[in-house]
Amino acid sequence: MNPEFQRNLWLELTPRRMFLMAVVLALVFFAAALTEGMVSGPGEAARWLYYLIVVVWGTRNAALSVVGEIRDRTWDGQRLSSLGAGAMTWGKLFGSTIYNWFGGAICLAVILVDLLGNRGAAVALIELVYYLAIGVIAQAAALLASLIAAGRRQAHSQFEVFLYQAVGLAAAIAAYLVWSTADPAGSMLARAAPIDFIVWWGLALDARAFLLLSLAIFTAWTLTGCVRQMKLELKMRNGPFVWLGFLLFIGLYVAGFDAWLSGFGALAHLDVVASRLLLAGTTFGALAYLMVFLEPKDRVHYRWLGRAFAKFQFGPALAGLQGWMTAALATLGVGIALLVWLGHTPPDQAAVGAMLGFLSRDMALVVLASMLSRRKSGDIAAIAILFALYILLPAIVKGLNYETSLVFFFPRASDPLWLSPALAWGEAVLAMVLAAGKLALSEEKTRATSA
Amino acid sequence: MIEVRDLVYEYPSVRALKGISLHVAPQTITALVGPNGAGKTTLLRCLAALEPPYSGRVTIDGLDTLQAPRAIHARLGYLPDFYGLYDALSVRRVLNYAARARGIAPALVAGAVEKAAGHVGLLDRLEARAGELSRGLRQRLAIAQAIVHEPRVLLLDEPAAGLDPQARRDLSVLLLMLKDAGMTLVVSSHILAELEDYCSEMIIIEAGLIVGGQAIKVRDVERPRYILEVATARSDLREFLAVRAGVDVIEADDYHALITHTKNAAARAKLIRDLLASGFEVSSFGESTKALEDAYFKQVGQGS
Repeated sequence: MNPEFQRNLWLELTPRRMFLMAVVLALVFFAAALTEGMVSGPGEAARWLYYLIVVVWGTRNAALSVVGEIRDRTWDGQRLSSLGAGAMTWGKLFGSTIYNWFGGAICLAVILVDLLGNRGAAVALIELVYYLAIGVIAQAAALLASLIAAGRRQAHSQFEVFLYQAVGLAAAIAAYLVWSTADPAGSMLARAAPIDFIVWWGLALDARAFLLLSLAIFTAWTLTGCVRQMKLELKMRNGPFVWLGFLLFIGLYVAGFDAWLSGFGALAHLDVVASRLLLAGTTFGALAYLMVFLEPKDRVHYRWLGRAFAKFQFGPALAGLQGWMTAALATLGVGIALLVWLGHTPPDQAAVGAMLGFLSRDMALVVLASMLSRRKSGDIAAIAILFALYILLPAIVKGLNYETSLVFFFPRASDPLWLSPALAWGEAVLAMVLAAGKLALSEEKTRATSA
Repeated sequence: MIEVRDLVYEYPSVRALKGISLHVAPQTITALVGPNGAGKTTLLRCLAALEPPYSGRVTIDGLDTLQAPRAIHARLGYLPDFYGLYDALSVRRVLNYAARARGIAPALVAGAVEKAAGHVGLLDRLEARAGELSRGLRQRLAIAQAIVHEPRVLLLDEPAAGLDPQARRDLSVLLLMLKDAGMTLVVSSHILAELEDYCSEMIIIEAGLIVGGQAIKVRDVERPRYILEVATARSDLREFLAVRAGVDVIEADDYHALITHTKNAAARAKLIRDLLASGFEVSSFGESTKALEDAYFKQVGQGS
């Protein structure tokens, strides 16, 4: 047996705790059965309890599985173990949550009995897959968040653990909301009729099969992310291809929903190709923003990266690019393709050019804020700067009736058309120069204090 | 066994190691000494392949820490200065987990656990919970965890911190036994007197650099250091000792001499007889126990 899983079994699954869980759940289901008609029956109670035990409580335990080791100073010992990244990941993910899965299994049994009696075997099987997948994706997302934080050497406080748990809960809520649109057992919150088909890449696909497969694929990607972060913790190297593969997948996946854009008035005039490029580019851009805040802005790594590029060591340098960098590059690549495609509509071209400029500016600002911060991370400072640039200053400018000046702050139609992208790229270049200068200064300072 | 070449390690705002080069021979115990913040723990973590060098190279048993960190992890045991234990588990389960996690086959785990527990004197506590152990016993359990897979290299960061005198003596005996069993040990500590008991080499780190630039041999098991004192001054003490077979004079004046000499008791007795026969009023003759401390202050003095 996986030693990490075994250790968690010793700690989590004691006969006393198992007995306690079984008795408490049995009492709840008994009470639900007695009051059926007045309130929901055992099946409905089991669904709520499953979410509570496996998703809410399970995400906390998953988030704590690595953070707890760091806090208790046992993590270095584990990093030195002979366990591979995959074995360590599944040992932690399913070991730390084994008690939750024990309770969840009891709930699932009640859910299945309820569904078999009321909806038939096919629906019961679909629901079983859904419940297992939502539990795994929620816990894996929480573990992934905690591993990313461990890489940033920020992982200890209760509030931070809550944030990692919140990431898992957000993944579960997203999965739930999407699935509830087609759930054959009906949504627990909204009682709207489930949809039967989803249009993707122009094809009308069975909604349940598509969503279940999507959930399974996203669960697999989340687990892959966990293993890759675990590899970094174990001092193994990650090649760039898995992340590039994910970008390719997510770009193609999201681009398939182009039919949905026809419902947005401002974008309804775009053709199919432009819609798909816009969706893919927006997704890459969102990932770049997400990753630039999640990944460590390690100035030592940036110096190393700069040195590798300066020495034309492109292999190691490209392999050393962070996730936000490749996502931003992918956004620029797709954005340029979109600019070319939109050759006949200059206003759209100007908007895309400005968006790319502001994205580049924001990436540079986040890095610059981390360079300026004396603390471990300048993320809060970066958020404050972006809040000022996108909300605060535009509100003041607007209040002073200088609306034409809003082109300084975000993409906006301007006269002449080139003004908005030109200003965006001007700000981007300035922010990049400042960030690079600060990085060079910090290197000089380190050298000077070391001499 | 351990080779370090031009190792540089940087934290975001400070260069912690500034181009360290060193060599640690197999089956030796090397002391890593220096003031707080000198870079000892960072160096140990780089040796343990837990921190990647900014530049330079670290090899353990011929393996590069950047190229093969996991293979290095399998070859070494590491006891950090601040370590944790699974307090809710019994000593047996803590060691059982450590053995399994370090790749010992399930059939061999029980034997490895008993052996490691025996090494640190915890055989009678195998069923006790780790959280119930005293500070000294927890230290022993932590060391047992680090050696359960019989690593080739053992890195210990302040292993004697908080231990009582008896526990420190037991630790010395254990480390010498592990060295004799074939392990290469690097021990970081502030307490020079305690390192004296078992270290044969010393590396002094100060402000991220090795003082003196290399490891210093502080002790030769076959040729210990002896201090000789005479009651009446003799200006020929150095010359007399220098020509005796098997004697190397490290330093001498009219009253004292620090020499190295074979550990053979009969040879030692003969030297004392010769001294007495030549009219030296020998008032004291014993093994020097401050070689490491002397070497430390000598080097630090040179460095400053």
